[in-house]
Amino acid sequence: MAQEIWWASTSFWRKSAIWVTGFSFVVLIFLTFDTVKQITAGSPRVPAYSVINNRIDYVFDAKRNFQVPVIGPEEPLFGKKLTEEEAEALVSHGKLTTQAKNCMDCHTLLGNGAYYAPDLTKAWLDPSWGSKEVREQSMVEFLMDPSDKLHNSIGRRMPKLGITEEEAKATVAFLKWMSSIDTNGFPANFKPIDQADAPAPATAEPAAEVGAAPVQ
Amino acid sequence: MIEPVALANFFTVFFSAAMVIMTGATYALLFAYSRVKGMPRMMLLAYLAYLGLFASVMTLADAANLFHNTFWTVIVGLMLLGYLVAPHAIWKLCVGTHALEPEDDKAHPVKIYQQS
Amino acid sequence: MSVLGILTSANLNGGQKLATKYFTVAIALFGAQVLFGLLAGIQYLNPDFLYGILDFSVNRMLHINAMVVWLLFGFIGSVYWLLEDESGAPVVGLGLGNLIFWVFTLAVVVVVLVFLLVQVGPGELKSIWLINEGREYIEAPRWADIGIVVCVLAFFFNVAATFAKGKFTGIGGVLVLDLIALAGLYLAGMWYTPNISMDQHWWWWVIHLWVEATWEVLVGCLMAYGLITTMGVRRRIVETWLYIEVALMFGSGILGLGHHYFWIGTPEYWFTIGGFFSALEPIPLVAMVVHAVFDAGHHKLKSTNHPALAWIIAQAFGNFFGAGVWGFMHTLPQINLYTHGTQWTASHGHLAFFGAYATMVIAFLYIALQKWRGGVYMSSNLAGAWKWKWAIFLLHAGLIAMVMGMLIAGYEQSQIERAIGGSDWVAYFAAQSHRWFMQGMFWRQIGGWVFASGFVLLAWDLMTIGKRETRPAVQNETAEAAA
Repeated sequence: MAQEIWWASTSFWRKSAIWVTGFSFVVLIFLTFDTVKQITAGSPRVPAYSVINNRIDYVFDAKRNFQVPVIGPEEPLFGKKLTEEEAEALVSHGKLTTQAKNCMDCHTLLGNGAYYAPDLTKAWLDPSWGSKEVREQSMVEFLMDPSDKLHNSIGRRMPKLGITEEEAKATVAFLKWMSSIDTNGFPANFKPIDQADAPAPATAEPAAEVGAAPVQ
Repeated sequence: MIEPVALANFFTVFFSAAMVIMTGATYALLFAYSRVKGMPRMMLLAYLAYLGLFASVMTLADAANLFHNTFWTVIVGLMLLGYLVAPHAIWKLCVGTHALEPEDDKAHPVKIYQQS
Repeated sequence: MSVLGILTSANLNGGQKLATKYFTVAIALFGAQVLFGLLAGIQYLNPDFLYGILDFSVNRMLHINAMVVWLLFGFIGSVYWLLEDESGAPVVGLGLGNLIFWVFTLAVVVVVLVFLLVQVGPGELKSIWLINEGREYIEAPRWADIGIVVCVLAFFFNVAATFAKGKFTGIGGVLVLDLIALAGLYLAGMWYTPNISMDQHWWWWVIHLWVEATWEVLVGCLMAYGLITTMGVRRRIVETWLYIEVALMFGSGILGLGHHYFWIGTPEYWFTIGGFFSALEPIPLVAMVVHAVFDAGHHKLKSTNHPALAWIIAQAFGNFFGAGVWGFMHTLPQINLYTHGTQWTASHGHLAFFGAYATMVIAFLYIALQKWRGGVYMSSNLAGAWKWKWAIFLLHAGLIAMVMGMLIAGYEQSQIERAIGGSDWVAYFAAQSHRWFMQGMFWRQIGGWVFASGFVLLAWDLMTIGKRETRPAVQNETAEAAA
């Protein structure tokens, strides 16, 4: 072993393996602390649950060079303004529903899941819901019995999963909240449903806040 | 930070990225083969493969808009340099680690066993 | 040594007897994976097939969970297989090991039955505890999660205690530390949060760090043991290289987590980290290529087990193409923006999981079978060798057809749905009904059937290989050299 070269020795690589692993893991831990802080609900990237009280849009940001969610005037979901606690409870019920109904083994959420049905990241903003006036109700009806609805296509039908009205409403809340997450521009080139107020000239004035009467 | 690939460049990106790995492996393969067999002329082929790797990385970088940003340009430089020296470094490591092989009396070049 | 060619546990040590149980269940679950994959594939072509009875979500869930569990069973079996040999001591808690095996298997059966019969539950926490957690790959309900952690910890105890009693080799050390990480990381996926970004952030800890770090290292340990025992490479060298591999894998793999953090709400600096480590990704592959050629030049590759060798070679290629080429094609965020969550991912997933992991477990099964039948001859001119050869051919031909079908579909999808259509519902269905997609799915299904036939042949071969063989495995190096 006299001619053993230090950088080719077993002990050198044993130590290297330990140090490299340890170092990478420590770096990961530090990054995780920061990331977790930045994705906790209530942060700029992941808004508080009460964001469902407002209009959410998805607009191109020239500085960041991709589309970003924009929180607009007050537009409470199902016409009822919720406190932060109520909103969290509702979104949480929706999230639980998506898990219990196994949505992710057909759909993708934030791009993760299965590929048999559309991505739901911006489902709340999808133009297929028609207009913003009928959107909430259409979504609830669709979720409760999707099997014969128009949104199905090329023979694929979402099955009836026994979703109750309460669960459907909560799921809509979850989807609305999810559409407010800053996903670094994913999905790209998405054209959101028209949410402008009535026929009034499109000026982003606070006047809109007053006009945000309970939808239907 | 990133500039997404233009639609017209999708195929170029997929193809050149695949070629980065393929030419990288070919370079490594020919490099090692040339050393094992003691065939210096094959080393020429190895560097030809590296040239292919170089071209693939540049094509990929151009199609994926990597040169529009300092960080990604540095990454491209690192890739070119890293892939160039990696086979050399790994080879040295192979020789170094196998130096402690007293039992193997087949120190002289042995017949290659076709592995693939 | 007992009679050649007879399958008898008299040929095995305690750990190996336990290993054969794990292997048997692994193959059965591999069959389940193929079956439910076929059903889900048919539904792409004919959405009415089993609609309302076994919906796509159920088939898909069983398809991917069967895969995770059969590979896990294959790994556990492989570790028990080498444990006594490597440590030089009998397995410390063999009774515990057996008990855990039955508990684990029973739990798997119950989970599968619940997935099949109950399928979904109300949107409450109790559904997550009892029925389905609804998170891709780790759908198993919470009670089963806890069971899995307990089982892995018991397994860890067995491995660590056996090595401690015998001798702690380098392979043993890496294995034990890797098992701690395996059990520990699973905990990251075991809590509920309403926050989908947080959910996906920790979910990737389990999925990425399991699959792209701890599993890789586990396979490295199995490979190291295989090189020492079946090829006669010196331990000191193999272990040095195992450490080099661990350094490269963990060095590039742990922070490689970054390439999953582009689009789930996580900060933009993950572009930088993901991009950097994606560029590093090919380095371990280059290392493997150079080292393989170097080794081939310095050691006569003397294998007494041709099927195992063939599968190990398949592993090298599968890993290279699946993880290397297919991974790198869509890993940069500039393009991943459009390929994320399309059939691209499915194409990459199929090739990489089969290429890097399934092949390794199958190779180990052949190594095990050789000893199980008393060290029987398994080289050239083996009676019935057509079976393993055709199995390996059909499995790969089928896999390549599937992967190519999904690649073409994903390529089309990334353009029409993602780039042009902007990923809304209309764009999604425009891409799904496109000719390229439909034909891709059609050929994927053909590939699926070919793969399934390969699986049947593989299962048959595993049951029969070496059965009527009377030659011993050793003393055949000269005949071997001709092969």
